[in-house]
Amino acid sequence: MPHVMTQPALPVGHYAYDSVDRTFLKQRVAQFKDQVERRLSGALTEEEFKPLRLMNGLYLQLHAYMLRVAIPYGVLDAAQMRTLAHIARTYDRDYGHFTTRQNIQFNWIRLEDTPEILTVLAEADMHAIQTSGNCIRNVTADQFAGAAADEVLDPRVYAEILRQWSTLHPEFTFLPRKFKIAISGSKQDRVAARFHDIGLIAREGENGRPVFEVFVGGGLGRTPAIGTRLRDDLPEEDLIAYLEAILRVYNAHGRRDNIYKARIKILVQALGAEEFFNQVNAEFSAMDRARYRLPEATVEAIRARFGTPDFAPAGDAAEKLNAQRKADQVFDAWVATNTHAHKQPGYCSVTVSCKPTGGIPGDVTSAQMDLLADLAERYSFGELRITHLQNVVLGHVRQDALYEVWQALAQNGLGTANIGFMTDIIACPGLDYCALANARSIPIAQKLSARFGSADLQRKIGPLRLNISGCINACGHHHAGHIGILGVDKRGEEAFQITLGGSSGGEDASIGQILGSAMSEDETVDAIARIIDTYLSRRTAGERFIETCRRLGTAPFKDAAYAPA
Amino acid sequence: MDRRNNRRDAEGISVVTANRLLDGRIVWLGADGQWKTVIQDAEPYANSAIEDVLQRCNARAQQEALVGIYGVQVTRTVSGLQPVTSRERIRAAGPSVHPDFTPDWPTHQPALHA
Repeated sequence: MPHVMTQPALPVGHYAYDSVDRTFLKQRVAQFKDQVERRLSGALTEEEFKPLRLMNGLYLQLHAYMLRVAIPYGVLDAAQMRTLAHIARTYDRDYGHFTTRQNIQFNWIRLEDTPEILTVLAEADMHAIQTSGNCIRNVTADQFAGAAADEVLDPRVYAEILRQWSTLHPEFTFLPRKFKIAISGSKQDRVAARFHDIGLIAREGENGRPVFEVFVGGGLGRTPAIGTRLRDDLPEEDLIAYLEAILRVYNAHGRRDNIYKARIKILVQALGAEEFFNQVNAEFSAMDRARYRLPEATVEAIRARFGTPDFAPAGDAAEKLNAQRKADQVFDAWVATNTHAHKQPGYCSVTVSCKPTGGIPGDVTSAQMDLLADLAERYSFGELRITHLQNVVLGHVRQDALYEVWQALAQNGLGTANIGFMTDIIACPGLDYCALANARSIPIAQKLSARFGSADLQRKIGPLRLNISGCINACGHHHAGHIGILGVDKRGEEAFQITLGGSSGGEDASIGQILGSAMSEDETVDAIARIIDTYLSRRTAGERFIETCRRLGTAPFKDAAYAPA
Repeated sequence: MDRRNNRRDAEGISVVTANRLLDGRIVWLGADGQWKTVIQDAEPYANSAIEDVLQRCNARAQQEALVGIYGVQVTRTVSGLQPVTSRERIRAAGPSVHPDFTPDWPTHQPALHA
């Protein structure tokens, strides 16, 4: 009987590597191994080696080396998640930290282990490329891509195209500064598109092919800015050419003399949006458009490398779920907050909270990673997503499986029903780990999480985004929080400023306003409690926190925050 | 080098710190010239002398497999040497959110995360 080769199924949710991708990764690991050996021998100085290790995601942080592993557009499969668990167990201290760029960081890595770790990652089709340095960083995407009921277009194919275009792009490997792109295919902006160097919102065009809304010059950090809309209807075939034109203008004119003025947002502000637009158009018009054209056939060839879920008829899944919700109030509350409507009847997406009450936002243990991989395999076609809000999504779960999924999560510290609520906190690693930080983000997040952890209280408060950054670099997106906390250094001691009224989403994107002078950690926690009390006492029926802030302005909240104890 | 790391009063005392090249772990220069993993084993120097010490340490950095050498101002307290800034206190003690991750945590001990 002849041996029959069966084609392995494509991974659901992410691009399937081929031999070219794998060869490239092997060569890259070998290159870095050689660089490490030369550093250890003294052939390379630290000054020479630093940019090389950063190109492979390896930072030297406050206590040790930190390795940031890329999770392109936040999607990975169960085997890849198990690889991350293995790295956490074997080379780190048994945990990892999901980041606001949908990546994962390991905080206790040894330089001498790093080539081996990169080999382990490469064997799982993973790497740490584009997680650091002045290059185009990991492209982020909607965590419900390919699943959301409100989605117009799946952005992951375009995120992958952008990844392939930008990886080792010779013109854009040494940009004036790092460059961040986000892409969404839904009217509901879940990627903070207007706070990126380039934000893309995809929708279907008149000819049935996608068109893109293009925002440029958004960002957080020292100079927060909302992106300027450059194009409303960029055709799919011009996507690469137009982005190339934007990057060329930035590369040519972005400031390299001052790190604080090097991001594209500063260039857009300096030139003015109209002049920047004109310069991009001039570059775009002068380009060899045929060379940079993105043909439909290429898009479809990339799309064909993505596995798609083979949904079984859901039968009476919705009815079973309804009955289970009625029978268990705690489960019902979790379903209400932690699930998202799916385009496939009888299915939903589950957001697994990595923010247990009083816990460290975004940290997961290796055992939890293994559990998530198991659940993905069993209930979600082997696919997982990391969100820029530092949670994990199981994209395609049958509604009648939700109860089992929730029970397994709850038994392992992952069942908190707080998505979108006040304790669903974004927090950067802060001064507990980060060499750049001025103050610790995690302890104040833990205190606030514990103080507002009551399920009833959170439901009463309703949707509220609380973001915490340990320094002005704003990795914790504090400017975009309804309530933001910024850690500052006051003569060598930690202190915290409160911002109010920020929002990352869509047309109402806004930058939070600083309420006043910085306070100690405990004073800040108390001040936020008084801000919440003010909201609860002054809101109108059905009014969300951010809406009350906008209606009343900051004055009453400032009065409350700085009220004498 | 972050300028914050080199803020020193003229009259104070400082210890010398670095990261080990191989594993990134923090070390402190002891009185015997060896690099220690806990700050209490560090030798304090008058701030007036620290730049000379740093210069000598930097000259040996590659040979001793060290990176990021700088001086940390400290005070003497009943519990020993204490950095004057919160940043350096955290750096010396380990992350405050993991009290078990003390500076003498064994390098290759598999951790049990709480």
